[in-house]
Amino acid sequence: MQTLNRMTLRFDSRSVNEAFARMTVAAFVAQLDPTLEELNDIKTVVSEAVTNAIVHGYRDRVGEIVVSARLLEGGYAEIKVKDHGCGIADVEQARQPLFTTGDAERSGMGFTIMESFSDKLRVRSAVGRGTTVTMLRQIMGRNGASA
Amino acid sequence: MQIIHEREGEKLVVYLTDELDQHSARKVIEALDRLALLYAEESIVLDLGRLTFMDSSGLAVAINLHRTLEQTGRHLTIRHTPPQAMRVFQAAHLEKYITFEQMGDEKACKH
Repeated sequence: MQTLNRMTLRFDSRSVNEAFARMTVAAFVAQLDPTLEELNDIKTVVSEAVTNAIVHGYRDRVGEIVVSARLLEGGYAEIKVKDHGCGIADVEQARQPLFTTGDAERSGMGFTIMESFSDKLRVRSAVGRGTTVTMLRQIMGRNGASA
Repeated sequence: MQIIHEREGEKLVVYLTDELDQHSARKVIEALDRLALLYAEESIVLDLGRLTFMDSSGLAVAINLHRTLEQTGRHLTIRHTPPQAMRVFQAAHLEKYITFEQMGDEKACKH
């Protein structure tokens, strides 16, 4: 699929940046004229992936998170959230509902929510090297047709 | 994030405003734990009508409060849940365990 537009964000793994990341990606994806529900879904998946990077990837330190988004032919939005943190030893286990290594404010449902709200979800991770979560979502738009 | 509470009959209603994510979740969990302790007899209604965003951190908030109340024979009701937050609850199937009351409902119902 041909790339129509792209953007990249780099920011510290501080929880105050969660809102910044989801709002910025949503503003970028707004070019596809999404419905409010589609826009909220985008915000939700970005929030989940960035939170995972902050809470799990950089558990004991502050590191860099890179969020990149591409608008593709056919009305698709592809969003990547990448960290260079501790990585995930067992990705399949991490994707199971209710699995968490976080504190009381984590539900263990982050990947389940990301899967529910995106069309495709890919997780690549290596222990000690970091994690990249890639989400693909087709935006049907307010007129019900892809851009 | 603002956390406002008031008595409504024999229940305590807690209003959450703005955005509920991991950044605000710890503060919310701690505040709700304090309220559950302070109002030791009351069941709690969590009113999300003023919430503008919620991710899975909201699930942790709800599950934590549900467990706290359940231990003392009390009940959690969540009401006025915005559509985006409801989709998060539904993706986690939380409506099977927690009572949700939507705008205009006169009585609580399990979906």
